[in-house]
Amino acid sequence: MRMMDASSGQPLAPSFSRRASRVAIRRAENYRGDLSTLLTETLLEFDLSVRGKTVLLKPNFVGPDPRGVINTHPAVVAAARESFLRLGADRVLVGDGPALERDTEAVAETMRLREYFGPLEPSFVDLNVDDVRRVPLRTRASSLRELYFPETVLGADLVVSMPKLKTHHWAGVTLSLKNMFGIVPGSCYGWPKNVLHWAGITRALLDINSTVRPGFAIVDGIVGMEGNGPTQGTPKPCGVLVLGDDPVAVDATCARIMGLVPERIEHLAHASFLLGHLKPENIKQIGESVERVQTPFEVIPEFRRLRARKDGHLWNMNCL
Amino acid sequence: MSGQVDGSEAFAGKPGQASFGDRICLPFLRDAQNPDGGWGYRPAHHSAIEPTCWALLALAGSEERSELAAACRRGRDWLLGRQLPDGSWPAFPGQSKGCWVTPLACLALHELGNTSGATARGVEWLCNAWPGEGTFWQRLRARLSRSSSVVRQNSSLRGWSWTPGTSSWVEPTAYVLLMLRNHFPEALPGRAGNRQKLAEAMLYDRMCPDGGWNSGNPFVYGVAGEPLVAPTAWALLALENHRERAENQKSLSWLALAYEQIQGPGSLALAHLCLRTYGRPAAPLEAALERLYAANRFLRSVPVTAFAAMALAPRCGWLRRTAAGARQ
Repeated sequence: MRMMDASSGQPLAPSFSRRASRVAIRRAENYRGDLSTLLTETLLEFDLSVRGKTVLLKPNFVGPDPRGVINTHPAVVAAARESFLRLGADRVLVGDGPALERDTEAVAETMRLREYFGPLEPSFVDLNVDDVRRVPLRTRASSLRELYFPETVLGADLVVSMPKLKTHHWAGVTLSLKNMFGIVPGSCYGWPKNVLHWAGITRALLDINSTVRPGFAIVDGIVGMEGNGPTQGTPKPCGVLVLGDDPVAVDATCARIMGLVPERIEHLAHASFLLGHLKPENIKQIGESVERVQTPFEVIPEFRRLRARKDGHLWNMNCL
Repeated sequence: MSGQVDGSEAFAGKPGQASFGDRICLPFLRDAQNPDGGWGYRPAHHSAIEPTCWALLALAGSEERSELAAACRRGRDWLLGRQLPDGSWPAFPGQSKGCWVTPLACLALHELGNTSGATARGVEWLCNAWPGEGTFWQRLRARLSRSSSVVRQNSSLRGWSWTPGTSSWVEPTAYVLLMLRNHFPEALPGRAGNRQKLAEAMLYDRMCPDGGWNSGNPFVYGVAGEPLVAPTAWALLALENHRERAENQKSLSWLALAYEQIQGPGSLALAHLCLRTYGRPAAPLEAALERLYAANRFLRSVPVTAFAAMALAPRCGWLRRTAAGARQ
């Protein structure tokens, strides 16, 4: 089964016919360091062709976040923007459509986005209220069949998913794939985008990510969130940035860093069939190893089954 | 923001100086109208139902100015032309299903004095539009699933959903209640009264324990949900006919406290409108809006600019009727 991807022109291919993915883990102890240089040096290790292109950074801006523990930190977003510009991108836009808070400007202001980013106009796009276009979904995991997506997303040459490293009380974890819920426009589907819940979170996630595929992912794991995420959990300093050219592989690596078994996370397990690699042997690791940065995250009781054994060796299905 | 004053003084402006609403908001809205008569969420974007409704409601109070009256007429005609055969309105033209913007369209057309029957058909559609969570099978499914022990709420109390067939949420329910209260009761279908009562009960059921509302989850995993400004303002406006109830007063107190910390112009304007409707004092609005406008120019948002214009205007027709109707 081979289908063409709507956004990047890359085929949707089963894992066995896909080349190995690359994931980089970089240490970053806090948000005050030179993240831009760190990201630029790391991005150079990937064959990203962004010269003259339009790049859309899709952070996870959930809601007002004065303490800086819920949303992707603006320092990481600003550093990524600068890095892609250094690599020759023509335009780097930042866009998200918060799921619960309609006042996107309030979200941006409480997290002090302007301080890191400069003027929000015209590079910042509220994806909830962008112009939209109807797109047939590339897969049939849910019964949705089609969704309206923002023109800014569909017009970007490269979509970069930029989540925060967090647990999620419905999906287990919220990483690169779950972050793509934010591209679904509230203007059409509301706040929250409840039609996706009715379609089934896992199934909707697969359909969205198969149709508008993020070509790259950068996860803010400098301070993550454990427990009752994505908004009411506990801040979890983890001191890493995780980058990669395969969002499934990036999410799997992040799950392992969190001490979770990616094969047990429903949407990741399903995504591995068509969207990317889950198994460590198919992921070329750059920078730090998982074991060196592993920081077990607390999860709510409903997700205890996701946790790896304390010996830390429960990384693949053979061990289950 | 400091210096508590009565809301009516907040939008008076300095003598001889045009107010922020007159200088910035109304000209922006006038200029943002698309050639087709509708408004997009931002200037030069495709016309959509929601921004058109808010722009019309903001401009409706200024119709004595001929250029704004003409803009309202064109906007009204655009809106009328976008109604679906079943009486509902979609979010964007060309979409085949009606949704949460339908009460806003009815509200705007009613405010502009439309008597074409379009609003009656919209109201009829809304009275027949039930959310998905209250059916027998959905309740059984919810009881058997994990969600029943996670989200503590009474799903037999139903309001309105964002999209047909999904769950009830605070804001779309509040929009419908506000719209229904703007109509004369005799002009509503007989079942509208029952739906209003059920929806009001649903809103109270979804209130956060310490007052205020978020999108509609007061408890998740035993943890109290945190209220948000805009849903709280909309719910309070929709429940204004119960203004003395303890839940309203508790939520109003939360909103008054939150008002001092609001950093988004849309939330600020809505909170001010709400506090004013309840006769609560609030810090001056105009200077705060000017400061926020200087920062991001409201991200050139048509709805946000419309909220600011309505909050700064000396009167807001549809809210005045809502409040007056409640006191009768």
